[in-house]
Amino acid sequence: MAQDRFTGVGLGLRRPHLEAVAGLEAHGVPFWETCPENVIGDGGRHHRMACAVLDRDPVLTHGLAISVGGFDPWDGEYLRDLGRFLIRTGTPWHSEHLCFTGVDGSCLHELLPLPFTREAARHAIARAKDLQTRLPVPLLLENITYYAELGPSEMDEADFIAGVLEGADVGWLLDVNNVYVNGLNFGFDPKAWLSRMPLDRVAQIHIAGHKRFGDITVDTHGAEVIDPVIELMQWTLARLGRPVPVLLERDNHIPDLDALLAERARLQHAYDAVLAPVLAPGGVGHG
Amino acid sequence: MAESRTLGLQRAMASLVLDGDEAVFESDPGEAARRQGLGDAEQRSFRDQGPGMRTYRELARMSLIEPLETLFPVLKALLDAAGAWDGCIQAFLDARAIRSSHYRDIGPAFLGWLAATGWGQDRWPFLLELAHAEILEVLVARFPDADPPGEVHADPGPQDRVVLDPATQVVTYTHAVHRVREQAPVPEARPTHLLAFRDGEGEARLLELTPATAALLVQAQTRPLAETVAALGLPGLTPAMNLLRDLHRDGAIAGFHRPLA
Repeated sequence: MAQDRFTGVGLGLRRPHLEAVAGLEAHGVPFWETCPENVIGDGGRHHRMACAVLDRDPVLTHGLAISVGGFDPWDGEYLRDLGRFLIRTGTPWHSEHLCFTGVDGSCLHELLPLPFTREAARHAIARAKDLQTRLPVPLLLENITYYAELGPSEMDEADFIAGVLEGADVGWLLDVNNVYVNGLNFGFDPKAWLSRMPLDRVAQIHIAGHKRFGDITVDTHGAEVIDPVIELMQWTLARLGRPVPVLLERDNHIPDLDALLAERARLQHAYDAVLAPVLAPGGVGHG
Repeated sequence: MAESRTLGLQRAMASLVLDGDEAVFESDPGEAARRQGLGDAEQRSFRDQGPGMRTYRELARMSLIEPLETLFPVLKALLDAAGAWDGCIQAFLDARAIRSSHYRDIGPAFLGWLAATGWGQDRWPFLLELAHAEILEVLVARFPDADPPGEVHADPGPQDRVVLDPATQVVTYTHAVHRVREQAPVPEARPTHLLAFRDGEGEARLLELTPATAALLVQAQTRPLAETVAALGLPGLTPAMNLLRDLHRDGAIAGFHRPLA
């Protein structure tokens, strides 16, 4: 299967590192993740370097702007370009966020929460199913951080996400940092939360750093991953019993490439440590 | 319609993020739900989660405003000095003019909004030119890659037309807006001609042109070089062709085209 080559800990391909990565074939990164919106329709020197890396190395794609839970019509031209891009990269799947990002044609460029209600779930399911029919690869949805519930809730976040994933029959990009941050902000145990979820749908994991501002912890992608989040990743991988790819996200206060490669190596060590026993001959794998 | 409540909540969130009235939202985030005609339960939900709602307002506005502060530092300095930057940004957000899902399009959307509304240009007649000049190199640097124009050659002849590289822009301003800086954001009033293009490495470059060279580059796209040089009263065809060869070598000109007779 194509996705068998996607294991270990990858990195997001970010603009400040393009030149270095393009000139560095033996970087040790098993795959890169790229945001199609930042490549499609772009041009110039950085664009050429990005394309050179994407044509050379294994790539997963992760979108930021498709408003899966929104009401605005799809941008048909963008979806056609996206489909061509996904085929060009050879990505085994494409992920978007379970959220809304715009209203009435106005793009807000923020991952905003959906109401935890039956009608919002039905709407997100219908939209995800429709979006899936327009993509050439399987769609994954990612759980977001949220800082407030949007209106009165009829269910909790876990039931909402599980319901949408099952209803739309799509895979899950599980962001363990988002689970951890939501646990801090809303006072729940991340492992208990994950134990309720359809982990068989997890195809990829995201991990990142966060920061506390006053009483609220924000998913900043601007700091190193802390040990409890790494431990949550390991706990999840052990439950999964299979080597799903993990992506280290870093979008703010981006360090130089060497520092990021060192953090990736630290996460890879944690990844290997937890998966070695279950993947060894005679090991217990499940999920 | 079953989804109308969900849509109403999303509109309320957009209102909370984009609308002005900072003091109103600070004291009562439920106002955003009330404006959308949502009921007491929805208003109470917004109100009871004040810190989280204010976090969304702060994060979302930051993601929309930061690229403008980065792309238009001189314009910001000019308007800040007059206490007008925040008002300008709020008017832009009120217009709901960010319609593209590409984050890089926020700057061009702001420029388009300035052009469409004329905001501030009665007081600062150079404002639109200043904003355009600030973003010009970015627009050129990131102009979508395209196949090179077909049927062009490298060496110009008297009957040829100039074919610019698709990313190249020849612009004329009434003010020297390319010379301003944050400490001195008001430009001198004098006609200014600029050539912005991508060099062989794909990096944006900016050249100031004489009026005659700017006219040559514009007019020779649609009529023969020799005819253009004569019409403009330039000193001779050879110097003009040497200049065009240089610009071709540097990447501003894609090549030269001779239409079939």
